[in-house]
Amino acid sequence: MGNLELFIPEATILAGAILVFTISVMGGSQRAGWIASVVMAAAGVAMSIVYVYADGEPFFPGIYRVDAFSQLLKVGITVGLLLTVLVSGRAESFRARTRADMPMFMFFAATGMMMLVSATELLTLYVALELSAYGLYILAVLHTSQREGAEAGAKYVLFGAASSAMTLYGVSLIYAAATTTYLSEIAQQPVTPLMVVGVLLALTGVFFKLAVFPFHAWAPDVYEASPHQAATFIGTASKVAAIGIIIRLMFLVGQGHAALTNVFLILCVASMTVGNLAAIVQRDLKRLLAYSTVAHAGYIMIGLACFSTAGVASAIFYGLLYVPVVFCAFLVVCVLGSDGRNPSKASLAGLYRRSPLLAFTLLVGMFGLAGIPPTAGFAGKWFLFSAAIESDLFWLVLVGALNATVSLYYYLLVIKEAYLTPPVDERPIAVSFATTVAAWLGIALVLFVGFYPGPLWVLAESAARAITGE
Amino acid sequence: MTDFPILTVTLLCPAAALLLTLLIPGRMDRLIKGVNALCALASLVLAIVIWIRFDRSVGGFQMTHDIPWVPSLGIHYTVAVDGAAVVLTLLTSLVFFTGVLSMWTLKERVKEYFAFMAALVFGVFGVFLSLDLFAFFFFYELAVLPMYPLIAIWGSTRKEYSAMKLTLFLMAGSVLLFPGLIALFVRSGGDTWNIIALAESGAFSRQFQIFVYPFIYIGFGVLAGMFPFHGWSPTGHVAAPTAVSMLHAGVLMKLGAFGIFRVAITCLPEGAAYWAPTFATLATIGIVYGAFVAMRQTDFKYIIGFSSVSHMGIVLLGLNVYAASNGASDIARDGAIFQMFAHGIMTALFFSAVGFIYDQTHDRDIRHFGGLASQVPVASSMFIVAALCGMGVPGFASFWAELLVFIAALQTYPVLGVCAIVGLIFTAAYVMRVLSTAMFGPRNPDWDHLVDVGAWLVTPRVILVAVLLLFGFYPTLILDMIRSVGAGGGP
Repeated sequence: MGNLELFIPEATILAGAILVFTISVMGGSQRAGWIASVVMAAAGVAMSIVYVYADGEPFFPGIYRVDAFSQLLKVGITVGLLLTVLVSGRAESFRARTRADMPMFMFFAATGMMMLVSATELLTLYVALELSAYGLYILAVLHTSQREGAEAGAKYVLFGAASSAMTLYGVSLIYAAATTTYLSEIAQQPVTPLMVVGVLLALTGVFFKLAVFPFHAWAPDVYEASPHQAATFIGTASKVAAIGIIIRLMFLVGQGHAALTNVFLILCVASMTVGNLAAIVQRDLKRLLAYSTVAHAGYIMIGLACFSTAGVASAIFYGLLYVPVVFCAFLVVCVLGSDGRNPSKASLAGLYRRSPLLAFTLLVGMFGLAGIPPTAGFAGKWFLFSAAIESDLFWLVLVGALNATVSLYYYLLVIKEAYLTPPVDERPIAVSFATTVAAWLGIALVLFVGFYPGPLWVLAESAARAITGE
Repeated sequence: MTDFPILTVTLLCPAAALLLTLLIPGRMDRLIKGVNALCALASLVLAIVIWIRFDRSVGGFQMTHDIPWVPSLGIHYTVAVDGAAVVLTLLTSLVFFTGVLSMWTLKERVKEYFAFMAALVFGVFGVFLSLDLFAFFFFYELAVLPMYPLIAIWGSTRKEYSAMKLTLFLMAGSVLLFPGLIALFVRSGGDTWNIIALAESGAFSRQFQIFVYPFIYIGFGVLAGMFPFHGWSPTGHVAAPTAVSMLHAGVLMKLGAFGIFRVAITCLPEGAAYWAPTFATLATIGIVYGAFVAMRQTDFKYIIGFSSVSHMGIVLLGLNVYAASNGASDIARDGAIFQMFAHGIMTALFFSAVGFIYDQTHDRDIRHFGGLASQVPVASSMFIVAALCGMGVPGFASFWAELLVFIAALQTYPVLGVCAIVGLIFTAAYVMRVLSTAMFGPRNPDWDHLVDVGAWLVTPRVILVAVLLLFGFYPTLILDMIRSVGAGGGP
């Protein structure tokens, strides 16, 4: 057995799940459970930060690796969890009877995601993948409206199961080619066509999670029909975990196998373009964010397609900053949709007068997604593009920058609704204390990384080195 | 020299204005205006101090302040000024200060207005002062984006359309800049973003320069109102409120020209020389075309908007002549930078005068006016001064600037030079037309009730007129400063 202390961040989140469950079973109020979940999520963030430089193996050798890479992504996952929990105080979009238990599923899913980014053995990896997915499947079903919940749940579970099956099939092919399930040993094996097919299939399953075109079809429907906080969680923390698993798998066949590189490049360009073009015509804010997620999955693929340390580092950097950036947008959805319905672009009218804080949060989120300074999105885009040019992908940067301009159009339209259109309903919007804290936290993170990207970049770079071994 | 980081403090003036504006409650709008005026005044004073402290005999880059920002990527926060940056810093602070004063009567959403405006000026200062390419582009994009809300909320005449058009045009320019600028960094070895270090690295082959130069030139050129990518500019002017028009034409368009000068020509001299004939031709077309279109316009702001395209064409022509000479033609460079300054002050004055009239009449059609010179003599005289300056009449700053550019152009590209001078005739024609129709001509009794510029609001305009005359009669003052660019080495 290894050093069990290294498992403390995951254990904290797992303890959070059990604590929330206990409070719920003992008949505690929803509020008590929620406060416990906020405390435990904050403790999880703290523990992840404390152990961010940890290195070693908590369990049997070779199956579970704690290194700069896994620990940094765990910080991203726990921050996503904390932010989501902070806006889940009332959770009006969840079915009333499930509100007390809801945080438990988030915690279980987060535990799974944290284990996922550390898993270095194919079966451990698969189990962690399922563990992280089941929590999300349940969260998606719990919408106040039975019909919506059933729709989101059915779509998510069916798509998710199909993607899991792909991954499992890929895993079996990798095993057939390499006759081992340890990633470190697989990487030593000669690259055979069977192995490349196996890795591609395994990656396909994860591309579903990240919503990369053409595996993105579930995202808009699930985002639209699941409760707001569930969508927030799916849109933030689960993306970080998906990036982690892709990076672990893609280097199994050496640095940049031609077939893999081509697939990455095609998916990258298609994802950006389809996501952005489809987002232009959306009226429902959550659907818009879903398509923008598809586009951002494409941006992240720019870094991955480089198959270099700088590329992986920039993808990690972007994946991490994406959490607070997109959270700022989701926060507004959670508050505006407190009646359980989805806010549309039109419902933003006059937001600057009804709640200046919400309007500003939305502004920061939209500028962040569009990559406008001084938000973190600008630094993220710059680093992705730098990595691509270093890998001689000049044309890819042109395509990426063109897409960023297209995306600016619909982000500006959202800002226009919030800041220009006079309000239909003059009543001020009440924002709870926890939500205010979450909003300022999100804004502070986005602006801090935007003005001073240095520290996070250093961490992302050492995380990338842990994988590429340079 | 003391170690007081005067450039950083100057850069922080608009940032302080932004932060204080956000902290002050929105209902205390007089306090917000006061704070902004104070910060703008502080930046103006600092800009003058920079001008005085800058050692012209040494030249090169001075007052450098450098902090490592992202060391592992070679990104630094580096601010330094050369003669060109000193001149343009003064221009920015002048337009900032007079812009705040000319929006003194604003009543609608005052807090947000000044917050966006301070963010814009923060970006503009950042561009003029930065020597690090990452910071340069960071501030460049920061300066562009506030234009969207500023025009879309407080503007007039198809404001949402114009605001979106402007933003997307300028961001499309950034599409070309992203790969172009990053390619410079990667090709030079990937250790530094410092513009001077990049220029001196000698790592750019002729082929590479010829390939990358148009990306950077056109990318920045869009913001400089380069023909044929100028379409956003006149519509943006027409829609924008007074102070935003002043900033837009006064300094924002200079960012583009400055980017070409500071980044494209400095880092890629061979590429610049290769492309100079093409881009000089486009610039000349811009001069003639802008003036030609302005002749047919009836809206005050469209006329000035197209005249800006024409005048920025002179700047670009000068820069291209400078590029064609491989940095030998000092006259062209001096003229181009002088023209940036003179045009900035002149258009600020133009828009300030037109904005004053529009605020009262809500009309900008020159055919609806007549005899304004007798109705509002002070405001009209401001407009007339700006108009004379636009024509390049001796005694105003533009005269020297245009003269220098044309002399240099005639030496290098005689045909283009002659065409550009012909463009000046059109300029004289449209200026005369406006003056004779709206300022003089038969008096329109509808506007007899107009109130002229008061003692308080006249201050900013008087400053601008004084600056135009000062540098018109004493051009050596500014030319000495700009000429020091050629002297000395790096920072």
